[in-house]
Amino acid sequence: MDSSSSSLSQQPEFDYLFKLLLIGDSGVGKSSLLLRFTADSFEDLSPTIGVDFKVKMVNIGGKKLKLAIWDTAGQERFRTLTSSYYRGAQGIVMVYDVTRRETFTNLSDIWAKEIDLYSTNQDCIKMLVGNKVDKESERAVTKKEGIEFAREYGCLFLECSAKTKVNVEQCFEELVLKILDTPSLLADASSGTKKNIFKQKQPEADGAASSCC
Amino acid sequence: MFDFCPQLERFDDFTIASSWERFISEIEAICRQWLADGPKILMQKGAESVPSFENLYMIKRELKRGKRVYSMEYHFMKSAKGKNTYWEDDTHTMQLSFGVDEFLMIAPLSASGVVLDDPESTKLLSSVAIALSNCGSNWPAFVPVHDPSRKAYIGIQNLGTVFTRRFEADRIGSQVPIRLMHLEGLHELFLSKFVLSSTDFPARVKVHFSMKLTYRTPEYDYDNETLDSEATESLVENEVVNHPKKQWDDDCPWAEWYSAEDPVKGFELTAIWGEKTFEETLEMAEVENASSFDADSWFLYPVVSQYMVDDSIGKFVGFASQLHLLVNAYESSAEAQFLEDFVADTSGQDNSKSTTTVPPPSVIDRVMKDLFKAGNSNFMESENKYSRAMRGAPADSLFGQFCLHALWFGNCNIRAIAVLWIDFVREIRWCWEESERLPRMRISSSIDLSSCLIHQKLQMLAICIERKKSLNREKSVGHKDETSNAAAANKTRKGSAGVVPKMMLLNTFQEMHAPYTQDAPLMTEDMHEERLHAAEAFGNAIGLSGQLERDILSSDMSAFKAANPDAVFEDFIRWHSPGDWVSEDNADGNSGWPPKGKLSQRMSEHGNVWRKIWNDAPPLPVSEQKSLLDPVREGEKVLHYLETLRPQQLLEQMVCTAFKSSADILNKTTYGAFKLMKTKMDQLYATMASTLKSLQGKSDISDLAGDLKRLCQVFEHIEKLLILAASIHRKLIDAPRLAQAIFADYFNYYLPKMGTTLESICYEKEFTTKQKVGMHERDAVSNLFPPPTANQSWRKVLSMGNLLNGHEPTQREIIFSVQERVSNGHYSSPTPLYADNEQIQTHRMYICGTSNDLWVALSVTSWD
Ligand SMILES: Nc1nc2c(ncn2[C@@H]2O[C@H](COP(=O)(O)OP(=O)(O)OP(=O)(O)O)[C@@H](O)[C@H]2O)c(=O)[nH]1
Ligand SMILES: [Mg+2]
Repeated sequence: MDSSSSSLSQQPEFDYLFKLLLIGDSGVGKSSLLLRFTADSFEDLSPTIGVDFKVKMVNIGGKKLKLAIWDTAGQERFRTLTSSYYRGAQGIVMVYDVTRRETFTNLSDIWAKEIDLYSTNQDCIKMLVGNKVDKESERAVTKKEGIEFAREYGCLFLECSAKTKVNVEQCFEELVLKILDTPSLLADASSGTKKNIFKQKQPEADGAASSCC
Repeated sequence: MFDFCPQLERFDDFTIASSWERFISEIEAICRQWLADGPKILMQKGAESVPSFENLYMIKRELKRGKRVYSMEYHFMKSAKGKNTYWEDDTHTMQLSFGVDEFLMIAPLSASGVVLDDPESTKLLSSVAIALSNCGSNWPAFVPVHDPSRKAYIGIQNLGTVFTRRFEADRIGSQVPIRLMHLEGLHELFLSKFVLSSTDFPARVKVHFSMKLTYRTPEYDYDNETLDSEATESLVENEVVNHPKKQWDDDCPWAEWYSAEDPVKGFELTAIWGEKTFEETLEMAEVENASSFDADSWFLYPVVSQYMVDDSIGKFVGFASQLHLLVNAYESSAEAQFLEDFVADTSGQDNSKSTTTVPPPSVIDRVMKDLFKAGNSNFMESENKYSRAMRGAPADSLFGQFCLHALWFGNCNIRAIAVLWIDFVREIRWCWEESERLPRMRISSSIDLSSCLIHQKLQMLAICIERKKSLNREKSVGHKDETSNAAAANKTRKGSAGVVPKMMLLNTFQEMHAPYTQDAPLMTEDMHEERLHAAEAFGNAIGLSGQLERDILSSDMSAFKAANPDAVFEDFIRWHSPGDWVSEDNADGNSGWPPKGKLSQRMSEHGNVWRKIWNDAPPLPVSEQKSLLDPVREGEKVLHYLETLRPQQLLEQMVCTAFKSSADILNKTTYGAFKLMKTKMDQLYATMASTLKSLQGKSDISDLAGDLKRLCQVFEHIEKLLILAASIHRKLIDAPRLAQAIFADYFNYYLPKMGTTLESICYEKEFTTKQKVGMHERDAVSNLFPPPTANQSWRKVLSMGNLLNGHEPTQREIIFSVQERVSNGHYSSPTPLYADNEQIQTHRMYICGTSNDLWVALSVTSWD
């Protein structure tokens, strides 16, 4: 099924495949960010149970890239199970809600530790994202605090809004550019070197994902 | 040559005149060139460094006189020596013996030691002297005489036009006269060289004296049980002597697995008395009785075993050597699909071959008994930032111990490992069937994903065994629902863990109860991976991934319903996901009833998955629910994994665990926290982490084996150094600064060896560095010389004096000298700096000896 059908559907060539992961408290807007980035829409979704992922082909830094973006559940109850999905990620996006302070403090108390514990890529790039900047009047975390956190944990930083589209594209672009700058991450991600489930996989998912962008 | 035909030699005399003349001019030409060049240019021209001296260089030329070939060597120093520094280690014997700096040495070239007869040596020396004076050089020149074992020399030095210095040295190899064993006698010997008549003898002559004593610690007789029991007794100081074999490293962490040869064979202590002036022979006797503690300085030198620098295979037996064997086994692990194949595969092969020998069943039994003996390990896991990358099991866990035993099981070949593993798994199966707790496994509620998979599986199995045991217990007690007892008042409420403060149900004026919930199921790494792959495979098809999460959610909802029979979906959300409840109450929190608010937009969407699950969940307390983790099923899965494990997978994990555990064991050693050692240990972990990491990447097995063998090499260096550090530390426990300094000296000497290449570097250079002992450290150092027992001192005839705790020096070196005032007119031409304030050293004697070996070198300056 795989070889014949993949040639049929003209599976697009790509230089690298990157696995990106979205983490953060429940309700900060991870699923909304993913939906905005991959389908350019915004709608209310059920709280994530388990995990969800979408694939998007992009051209960044002169390279053809296939991004597999994993959206995890922020619910505390699922946390140990969510750890399954950390493995192999080249980029991890830590999302908080700028209008809910505890979602920000939980990043250092909980999520940063989870990364240390479960991420299998020592050099994986981390990115801090403050979402829902459209609700400026309700802001509870200043931009400066975000910058400080990012400096302390050595990660990239951006504020964005899944609702108004502000900075969503940039957020993924910056993360990917940084990964492209990190040779140890490219080694695993290069399409030629490693057997990868995405390469020989049924192409339906790919087709669906790329068609909706 | 003249040994055989002395006549011929005499006959040759007829032609000598001219041959000697030619010879002299040849020497002269060479010396002029060397003089003109000076040290700097000579070094550029290829003068070689004299081994083991930092400052000394030598250039060599060969000369012919008739058929005789001579070699002439000019020794010179890179930088000038200060005065009175002859006791320094960087001093050549010739320099020390004769009080010279640079010198010429001329000797016939012959393979069989140097033999010169008197006339030849005298002629040779005068030729050199003539040549040197012709070119106005002040270099002292020496010629070896007699047979080499006597180390006898004659020498001469022009000191300007007026003075000449003559040198002579000889040795008494046995039967040293008693008189010359003592300082008094030696002093008289010196005086006799310039006091002409015996009547002058008592005349007071100011003699300068300095002395260097070398002591050697007695042998450490650790395992010499019967013969030297008394000696041992004195060493272990009233400890239990009956212990038959007391090894030096008995209480070191590695001793559980092997005993290392003590790399420190002993110490040499050098005590130096700086220059003093004596006028009477009697004073010498006092010096001989003086305590070594009166010496001006002490230096300590460790006598380090040759095995430290010997890299040949099999020379060092420790973790490193066994790890090397394990890596070999890993290399051959890909040869078969199943471990059983290695065990069975003996057909046609030479069974006695060391690569296939398996220790007898009795040994296997012993190992199994040790592995599975009851009693928990204390799990002193030293968390290390690299442990994640190394992916091993803790050293004292069941699998960690298995790996360590395997290292020392026979010669750790693949077949022996296979035999051991099969028995090991059989024992584990037995524990499982009998619901026996697994030994050496700490029961925890989580699985350590940073450990190797086998260890994770065993953690899982240990938990399953516990659960299975409690299931069995419940069954035997009967189907009595304990949790419902608590809620006897309310017949319908089940499985409540207590009231949630300030939370009332929406539809009834009742307190909200938090239910007991099930633990989230435990997962080993491969289960996580499986879930990941499942998620990848199902892709975007919502509802197919995350089945486990749904089960948990459903279980929570059931439990909540059971604990709150009148609750609605909104109540559950308020408890479980408060963020999805938008409260419309007053800000003061303590609002009235009913609480006002609504579900968040996303929770209230049509087709919300949560609500669907809520609708389907039956009210059931945890005790009546199906367990999220089926211990019987999961336990069987673990055993299936262990029983069908591929050899290569086993060996990979064994390699990781064995490296990590061995390093962890060594790392527990106390070595006084020497900084250099600590850094090396950290480096070892870093190197292991980066090498072992690629083992999980499953690249080419032969590439990896190469890397692993290099890692073994690095491991061996560090293991040896660590053992050395431990040995030095415990011997000099009361002088920590000194211990650390001595270790650092050796470390720096050893460092060039530490390349990561497989070829061993042969060490020609010897370790010679001595450390100065501080005043406050002398007590600690003298403790290295325990007073000999009656038995020992009886055996040895002490005859020299200068005892240290009853030990005689192994060598005593003395320099005597006298100086004479010289009038300015007398002393006109340029001479080297032998004169000090118009004083010139007229006689100098260097004596080096023990009670049965005496070597004396004399320098006499005269004006003729
Ligand atoms: N105003 C505003 N609302 C947003 C934005 N992004 C998300 N939301 C809303 O925030 C709520 C939560 O968004 P989700 O994307 O479901 O949050 P999540 O992080 O995926 O939550 P979990 O799946 O439970 O971990 C939804 O109601 C979204 O509509 C934003 O940029 N601005
Ligand atoms: Mg979500």
